Amino acid sequence: MKSYKICIIGGGIIGSSIAYHLAKFGEKNVAVFEKSYISSGSTGRCGGGIRQQWSARMNVRLAMRSVKLFERFKEDTGFDIEYKQGGYLLMAYSEDEAARFEKNVKMQKEEGLEVEILSPKMVKERYPYINTERLVLATFGPTDGHANPHLANFGYIFAAKKLGVDVYTHTEVEDIDVVNKKIMGINTTAGYFKCDVVINAAGGWSGEIGKMAGVDIPTTSYRHQIFVTEALESFFPFMAISFDGNFYMRQTKHGQFIMGMGDPDEKPGINRDVSFRFEREMAEKMVKIFPFLENTRIIRHWAGCYNMSPDAQPIIGCSKDVEGFCYAVGFSGHGFMLAPAVGEALAQKLIFGRPKEVEIDFLDIDRLKGKSFEVEGNVV
Amino acid sequence: MERRIKNHPILDFEEKGYVTIYFEGIPIKAKENETIASALIANGFDIFGFTEKGRPRGFFCAIGKCSSCLVVVDGVPNVRACMTKVRDGMKVERQVGRGKPTWTEPE
Repeated sequence: MKSYKICIIGGGIIGSSIAYHLAKFGEKNVAVFEKSYISSGSTGRCGGGIRQQWSARMNVRLAMRSVKLFERFKEDTGFDIEYKQGGYLLMAYSEDEAARFEKNVKMQKEEGLEVEILSPKMVKERYPYINTERLVLATFGPTDGHANPHLANFGYIFAAKKLGVDVYTHTEVEDIDVVNKKIMGINTTAGYFKCDVVINAAGGWSGEIGKMAGVDIPTTSYRHQIFVTEALESFFPFMAISFDGNFYMRQTKHGQFIMGMGDPDEKPGINRDVSFRFEREMAEKMVKIFPFLENTRIIRHWAGCYNMSPDAQPIIGCSKDVEGFCYAVGFSGHGFMLAPAVGEALAQKLIFGRPKEVEIDFLDIDRLKGKSFEVEGNVV
Repeated sequence: MERRIKNHPILDFEEKGYVTIYFEGIPIKAKENETIASALIANGFDIFGFTEKGRPRGFFCAIGKCSSCLVVVDGVPNVRACMTKVRDGMKVERQVGRGKPTWTEPE
């Protein structure tokens, strides 16, 4: 019977980052189980944005640590992930949102983040290709950016393998063996694996994996759609995003525009179908704000899921009820950008007893047991 | 042999008169209702543009799928020569690499 110290469920960017960081800090007796292929889930379907402009202070800290790690990703893993610090332009279309942005910027500056407030006139001067009609205010964080999520996912998994981690793709975890409230192993389509620790990094399926261990994970998955256009010359270095305008868009290294928006009518569950309604609504909205898109054709359209937590912040830690069951789930649409910091912090917590670079205790599942928690507002 | 598309799997070509379009500034005779690609090939122009690395591109799939025939039409890039019909006075340029963004300011 094969045995590992730690089995990670999920070969997305979160599971891969945790595996890489565990091995990097000395714990190489680790295996990753992925039911499909690497980056087949939410990671490979995401927009690829990397943002530090959050409304909750602890999220700003976590994201700033992530950016530090993205900056040296190539050095650490040997992988070029098309990382570009082209900035993030946050666009507010209401007075309320503008007031929140001003408050957030003050807090973000206290945390040492480089960020500035732009009037619609300043936006138009800098970016004449944006229609600033109805725009109330924008903020710009020059050290935010974006990267290719597939490459980042593969970067971590290959680096982890090189350090001795085993990776099982096309291997589904069917059950978790818990005896006397303690993890004993996992049952998979490739047989039984004995282990001391199971890490739930299953993204959209985090709730189901929780149930296998008898741990209630309060996450729900919702479909989010994205489409991509044909390529134009590179001229749009930043990610443009609006929460009250409900959109985000960036230009890939190749020159294509990737964009998405949320749908309040979306039903919970894993659904990877695409809808013409999304295509039409997204295109109509974006052509108004970014008029150069009018002559640009859509070439592909896909769907992935946000694994939502009740306060739109991730749930990270280890269960107090089942010994050896840990989780990094419920990223609510921003798992890709947080993955480096989260993987590092959780690996350090497991090996050294606590994270060394950034706090993650505030993301423990217990926060959601109380009635009041701070909901992260900066989510599309 | 006339190098001109007479039958197309997905487009109709009704035989009509002639119009003039400009390719790289050169006036050429095109049949009304035919595609830009058909007019260019008929007039001896096989190179519709170049990749960023300078490799020539031209007519390939002929049905709007492959993006090999992209040209700049009246300043707008990424126009499929194989699917876009000619218009009298149309200005067609070779596209080099990816297109530049174009837009009209909303009123």
